[in-house]
Amino acid sequence: MSATAFMPTVTTGTVERQANQAGRKPGRRTDEVIRASILSEGIYELVIRDPYVACTVQPAQFVNLYPADARMALPRPFGVAKVDDDDVTLIYQIVGAGTAEFSLLQAGDVIDVLGPLGKPFDTSKPANYVLVGGGLGVPPLLYAAQKLSERNDGTQVTSVFGYRDARFADDLVAPFADKTHSIVNAEGNVVDLLNDIEDELSSADHPPVILSCGPTPMMKAVAAWASKRDIPAQLSLEARMGCGYGACVACVVDTPSGRLKVCKDGPVFTIEELGWEA
Amino acid sequence: MNVLEPHEWRHKTIVAGTEWKNPVGTASGTFQLDACGDYYDVSQMGAICTKGVSPVPWEGNPSPRTAEGPSSMVNAVGLQNPGVDHYLVDELPRLKKLGAMVITNVAGHSDEDYAQVVEKLADSEADMLEINVSCPNVSHGGMSVGTDPVVLSRLIKHLRTLTDKPMIVKLSPNVTDIVQIAHAAVDAGADALSLINTLVGMRIDINTGKPIIANRTGGVSGPAIFPIALSFVWRVRQAIPDIPIIGIGGIDSGEKALEYLYAGANAVEVGAAALVDPTAPMRVARELDDLLDSRPELAAKLAKGQTW
Repeated sequence: MSATAFMPTVTTGTVERQANQAGRKPGRRTDEVIRASILSEGIYELVIRDPYVACTVQPAQFVNLYPADARMALPRPFGVAKVDDDDVTLIYQIVGAGTAEFSLLQAGDVIDVLGPLGKPFDTSKPANYVLVGGGLGVPPLLYAAQKLSERNDGTQVTSVFGYRDARFADDLVAPFADKTHSIVNAEGNVVDLLNDIEDELSSADHPPVILSCGPTPMMKAVAAWASKRDIPAQLSLEARMGCGYGACVACVVDTPSGRLKVCKDGPVFTIEELGWEA
Repeated sequence: MNVLEPHEWRHKTIVAGTEWKNPVGTASGTFQLDACGDYYDVSQMGAICTKGVSPVPWEGNPSPRTAEGPSSMVNAVGLQNPGVDHYLVDELPRLKKLGAMVITNVAGHSDEDYAQVVEKLADSEADMLEINVSCPNVSHGGMSVGTDPVVLSRLIKHLRTLTDKPMIVKLSPNVTDIVQIAHAAVDAGADALSLINTLVGMRIDINTGKPIIANRTGGVSGPAIFPIALSFVWRVRQAIPDIPIIGIGGIDSGEKALEYLYAGANAVEVGAAALVDPTAPMRVARELDDLLDSRPELAAKLAKGQTW
């Protein structure tokens, strides 16, 4: 079924005003697709027009996208990769029927959206933010780089990205990062890269703070690397979600404080919260 | 269109002596105050049915806890909750402060578990208790109680002695004869029935050959179960004309809620639809309120708490 099977009730700027008036967040709504393209082999970029998300989303927050095919009842969560005015960029890979449907979208189609959802990275202090991402954990860090680059408090941005094959995000992060580093699977992993640039991190104007997103084994390795060096790190976890906004309690992670919801208590957690110290 | 405007309710309903603003509540396990309250004014729902409350904190089942089925979801959360003491000092006061009509869902692994929770709730501000004898995702208690009329009868009779609050018994569809179970609950002292809880189901990852959910099986909810749940409500209503029934299962529109009322439900609860759109319970309530304008006889029955 095509996404155009929905009656197009395209979001306008009034959504934000309505939300503010009611003191509540807007529910699921229908957005217009502005652009849909292939970024690299198997990696897709989707730009939707959503003024509410555009003006409220913070790095590591995500949006739910809903397949038009009603047989797929659950939303698919995607971290926001970029915001330009009212337009929100999402980057994803086909992993199942839902993402396969999304890959068929074209400009002018519509898609149902909920969000932004989740707890963002804490970037309140000036620092040398080291963005450590792997695979499809990279896109949320692109948005972190974009937001951090807008600051005038001495904040620096260093990207450390690991790819399975194609370096699909290096060009996207370059305008927003002071230094960029990347590696593909065959050459090693992001911890190898972190080892390579350890001296560079300690010589920056500000001490490093790691913001990381990617597969769980990578994040555990990054957490171990950071905690050995007493470098604070915030990890944005991936999980199989139900609702994405905290109601169903499906996407839990075991922590010293009990089972916490990745979608609502996270997706961002510190190493200490997760008990992942080395 | 996305943020719900204030609404003046026209069709209140009476369920087991409790007055609801409208005939629509939230279904247990799909409502969390800190999540759902961001999206709509929870005091405007007919009733808020809480997540299962157990005598002590339960950590629930390991992950993954959910999978998708055709027009449905399969979940095995395992009633993760912080326990009745936490509920009494934290969630219940906040819900009552907001002005919500509260149905507290009671969970247990044993008769004693259920009794402990009911005793602690007996003098609380909870408006109704819903005894969850039908969760398919806990190893003891839950569905194992709700599928045996003798065991169920013994439990409900005991709980009846512990509280004067309206007591709803939530029934499982995973039985041979739901009418027999319904009779057992009513004869033992239930003031109302809610049905149905989820159906047992599973999904398997064909790449690994293993179940997707860590618990292996889970409870199926969502649009796929709507016609099944509707028939359960209808069958119980045919057999027991004078017990309040709350219909649950696959409701995602006012039209589907109306079907439940015609099948014999006095009220409904919206569950899985809220996981797809957090504003769904309130939207369904408004759609049903509007639909009832053209059904005066049905609306009058609801307002009097009459059954069918």
